[in-house]
Amino acid sequence: MFDEFNIRHAQERGFALLLRASLFTCGAILFFLLGSIVVKGIGALSLEFLFMPAKDFGRSGGIFYQIFGSLMMVTAAAAIVLPLALGTALFQISYNSRPEVKYLLEQSLYALNAIPSITYGIFGLIVFVNVLNTGISWFVGSIILAIMILPTATLSTYQAMSAIPKIYHENAAALGLNKSQIIRRVTLPQSFHGLVTGLLIGLARAIGETAPIMFIATAFSGVTVPQSLVEPVSTLPTHILELAQQSTDPQALQNAWGASLVLVILVAGFSGLALFFRSRLISAGHK
Amino acid sequence: MNIANRQTYRRTTNFSGTKIYCLASAAISVTIVCTILVTLLVQSGPVLFTENAGLIGTKWNPSDGQFGILPMLFGSIFVMLIAVTIAFPLGLMAAVYIAETRSSKLRRALKSVLEILAGIPSIVYGLIGVAYLNIWIADLFDLQSGRIILTAGILLGIMILPTFLTLTEDAISAVPVKFRENAKSLGLYRHEVFFSIILPKAKSGIAGAGLLALGRALGETMAVMLVIGSLDRLPSPLFNPLSSGQTITSKLGREVTESAFGSPHFSALVFMGLLLVLITILLTIVSRLMFKQEDRHV
Repeated sequence: MFDEFNIRHAQERGFALLLRASLFTCGAILFFLLGSIVVKGIGALSLEFLFMPAKDFGRSGGIFYQIFGSLMMVTAAAAIVLPLALGTALFQISYNSRPEVKYLLEQSLYALNAIPSITYGIFGLIVFVNVLNTGISWFVGSIILAIMILPTATLSTYQAMSAIPKIYHENAAALGLNKSQIIRRVTLPQSFHGLVTGLLIGLARAIGETAPIMFIATAFSGVTVPQSLVEPVSTLPTHILELAQQSTDPQALQNAWGASLVLVILVAGFSGLALFFRSRLISAGHK
Repeated sequence: MNIANRQTYRRTTNFSGTKIYCLASAAISVTIVCTILVTLLVQSGPVLFTENAGLIGTKWNPSDGQFGILPMLFGSIFVMLIAVTIAFPLGLMAAVYIAETRSSKLRRALKSVLEILAGIPSIVYGLIGVAYLNIWIADLFDLQSGRIILTAGILLGIMILPTFLTLTEDAISAVPVKFRENAKSLGLYRHEVFFSIILPKAKSGIAGAGLLALGRALGETMAVMLVIGSLDRLPSPLFNPLSSGQTITSKLGREVTESAFGSPHFSALVFMGLLLVLITILLTIVSRLMFKQEDRHV
């Protein structure tokens, strides 16, 4: 009796120790990751680095046009995906009454979410660059990024729309509004936060992606502001990729860390904004 | 027609502009998925109809017309297994700690850190792999170069850890408190509560999290491409993590721009991409089924 108690007690101590050790290991890894990005990155950051064009194949100079290119591409992607995500979510909520159509749409979106990012790049290369013959174009990159963030934006909008209390619709219908009027007066204003949150989460993901755009939208050096839709830009992720491949050169590595820190800050900025909108959404829903 | 009449007309009409717009958006969303799959399938055609392409072989040599995809397929699975061996036990145990200590402050703080980490772009992980990990591994095993399968596996394990950890923690936290209270009042120790009460309840949720993480690990490109060494041969002996290798994604990242559009070479690459897409979609479907089962359980 006493012995059994001791064994169980020892097991308990071992289990607790194992849990602590795992958490500590995870914590150490995470601390190391964030720490190395911040410490190494801050060493490279300066005003010149942020506002000068890259020189000498990225080894010196700054990353101004890379930041510009990244922001431009994701902004265009957001503008492309916005009407599509809104329409798809509205269709699910307001017009679709058949469960099998709903199922098909949901599964398509989940499949889209599951597709590895590099295959989006290959898809873009085949359809746009080769078949439609656009050449390397930043706008094609934006279209591909828009397809990538479509599931996130749509599902978030859909969730916000289905969280609207049914009584709102019933009241609006009782007042004699027809379907499009209810959508305009009730559904859209009440679910606006969901759309913004979804878009921002999507943008946070899109701005860090390298694989989908590296074949179809970017060039490494000598790129400034594109004059048309079918010109390449330079972006932060592809810039880091090129610099990481010259990792034996300390100067290139230093600039890669600087660009990484800027990229992580941009991603965190978009995610932070998304959190802000999500909390507003939740508090608005409780009223 | 006066204004009042027109209003009535617009109210009763079935095909309003809004409806057409919504229908069109939904149709486009579904079409995109189909287009991607069909495009990949059509472009895989040339190599599937090329004789003696040796697709299910171990030799990749485009100039000889040999496109054996086995080394890449094996590399992908091997790297994924290493990543999973690292991430799953570590993530599960840490998730248990976070969920069972029930300190909501610690939980919220950790969750937000994990969300930041899950958002770090993969290229930044690649940079960390190039700058630190591959040098440490080379020193540790006394190798010429640290760009080997093991390095890619470890890096990938670190990458999927945050995703797996938060999802697992969600699954464990979803088990109602009353189960724990009852078990504890019966005099069970914490490990007994976990293994005999919580784990059976949360297992489909944990499995779902695992499958989702597997899918992410298989599809990851940038970090793997930078540290795996890009060698298109099966390692010898087969399960030697210290040799360089190649995964499907790293192969695609390196070679797609070097191959001519429409050639068997390009088509073999697209075929590998198609395989990858099918595997990851399958994993997602199964993991969604798991999460649904979890909802029913709890």
